[in-house]
Amino acid sequence: MSAPWKRRARLRQWVNVAVVVVICIVALFPIFWGLSTSLKPASDILEYPPKLIPTAPTLEHYRQLFSTGILKYIVNSTIVSTFTVVLCVVLAALAGYALARFEFRGKAIVLFLIVAVMSIPLPSLMVPTFTFLALLGLNNTLLGLILLYTAYQLPLAVWVLYGYFQTIPTEFENAAMIDGYSRLQALRRVVLPLSRPGLIAAGLFTLTFAWNDFVVAVVMNSSDDARTLPVAIYNYLGFFGREWGPLTAAAMVSIVPVILVFIIFQKYFLSGMTGGGVKG
Amino acid sequence: MHINPRSSWYPYRFVLPVLAIEILFVGVPLIIGVYYSLHKADYFQLTEFVGLQNYWTVINSPVVRESLAATAIFSIFSLVITFGVGLALALYLERDTRLHVFTRAVVLVPYTIAMLVGSLLLKWIFTKDAGIMYLVLGPLGVPDISVLSDPTSAMAALVYNAVWRDSAFAMILLMAGLKGINGQLYAAARVDGASAWYRFRRITLPLLRVPILITLIRLLIHFVNVLTFALILTGGGPNNATQTMGLAMYRMGFVDFRLGPANALAFLVLLFNLVLIFILLRLFRQKRVAG
Repeated sequence: MSAPWKRRARLRQWVNVAVVVVICIVALFPIFWGLSTSLKPASDILEYPPKLIPTAPTLEHYRQLFSTGILKYIVNSTIVSTFTVVLCVVLAALAGYALARFEFRGKAIVLFLIVAVMSIPLPSLMVPTFTFLALLGLNNTLLGLILLYTAYQLPLAVWVLYGYFQTIPTEFENAAMIDGYSRLQALRRVVLPLSRPGLIAAGLFTLTFAWNDFVVAVVMNSSDDARTLPVAIYNYLGFFGREWGPLTAAAMVSIVPVILVFIIFQKYFLSGMTGGGVKG
Repeated sequence: MHINPRSSWYPYRFVLPVLAIEILFVGVPLIIGVYYSLHKADYFQLTEFVGLQNYWTVINSPVVRESLAATAIFSIFSLVITFGVGLALALYLERDTRLHVFTRAVVLVPYTIAMLVGSLLLKWIFTKDAGIMYLVLGPLGVPDISVLSDPTSAMAALVYNAVWRDSAFAMILLMAGLKGINGQLYAAARVDGASAWYRFRRITLPLLRVPILITLIRLLIHFVNVLTFALILTGGGPNNATQTMGLAMYRMGFVDFRLGPANALAFLVLLFNLVLIFILLRLFRQKRVAG
């Protein structure tokens, strides 16, 4: 027999594992259940008692989605996300760099505004923003979404990069500038390569925001040509009604890229959420 | 080329694009919103200046009042439970063992996927057709009812959705605070024979004060405004019991196209948010001074 303290330690280990299992089930069950449903033939979806794992898995719902044109919405979402990330990271790098390196009048105000805009909740902005975008004629365009997403994610991206640039010693860029680089060249060739974790964190946050956003897109774009994936899924909800096969399949199409990106870059997410520094 | 950063325009060139975009797409809409809120608007045609009449309409509207009550119930329950679960998770998962790092990532998944998709998947669980709720609750003696068709249980489902998604957010904010606490304090207290509960109350809670307040306010701002949960999960029903303010505003503006009152309501909501944001900014400053 093992000593009592050993037994207690093992018991504690088991309790730990049990707690973790419960947490994981609560967090992931809805996704697992959606995945399972999306793979069941239509006739099995409503059977009782429900089977957690499909007995005859099929891709029919996914096929149905792609034959009814979900690809267009995926492409739209991809275009919007890509341009938003590029625009956001480039502009945020410039601003973050100036805030980290220069002293100038109004800097405190700029920092203050950044935190303030970061805290403004989107829904309260949507009604007037739609009014404004319609006046500009940018509603129902992908460009409109790109510009809005950039505006909404820039404060966070600037904040993250501002924090990151401060951790990089100035000696490298000074040396580069003595060697004849201009400030911008030094930023691009010296500072940015050293700031990869910060850039990735800022880019990831922008990317998931642009890919996941529903509220902005549903308000701004009502035309089919400029529809992004989450709005398409929302429309499926009205269109398919209680056909949960295609609905859950559409949900999976939206989730899979996010989860892949999340698994690969997990540690960079946290810095963006706390609005603070990144550990490289 | 020598540049004196203090006197030249040079630094502003770096910041200008960001400022321009923020002014154009956040600042200008706010001004336009206020302008619209003071006019009679039919679709997009402003017909006449009506002063504060839209505000009056909004304040006296029974739909808005109902939504205020729903928002208050939803926000308070979501705030308390999400914060509690988030704090428990932060304390429990703080240590960097492999199991805990993995669990942290799992808890974050509901937060990283689209809010719409999360609510859609929960709707499928709460729907009577799915059979899941009866499978879980049946053995407890609960009859086979539809969770989403009763006002109370629909609100509970809405709160569950919020807790399910946002606990991870609270966890991360609080964990960042926890990591900032000097471990030697705990060691010293342990040497002095302080119990775990005593250490939590006398060391963790006081030193976590500012992160706790920041977490509470960021959650509150989110819950007061969010509309996706209600729009997807319950559709505001049954009988508007779960129609929160964000959803009421969305419907007023984009289903009924009453842009005058919708802008008035948006501005009122924003004012309320500004109060919360003001508190938040003061806390951020305090945090910087403290740490």
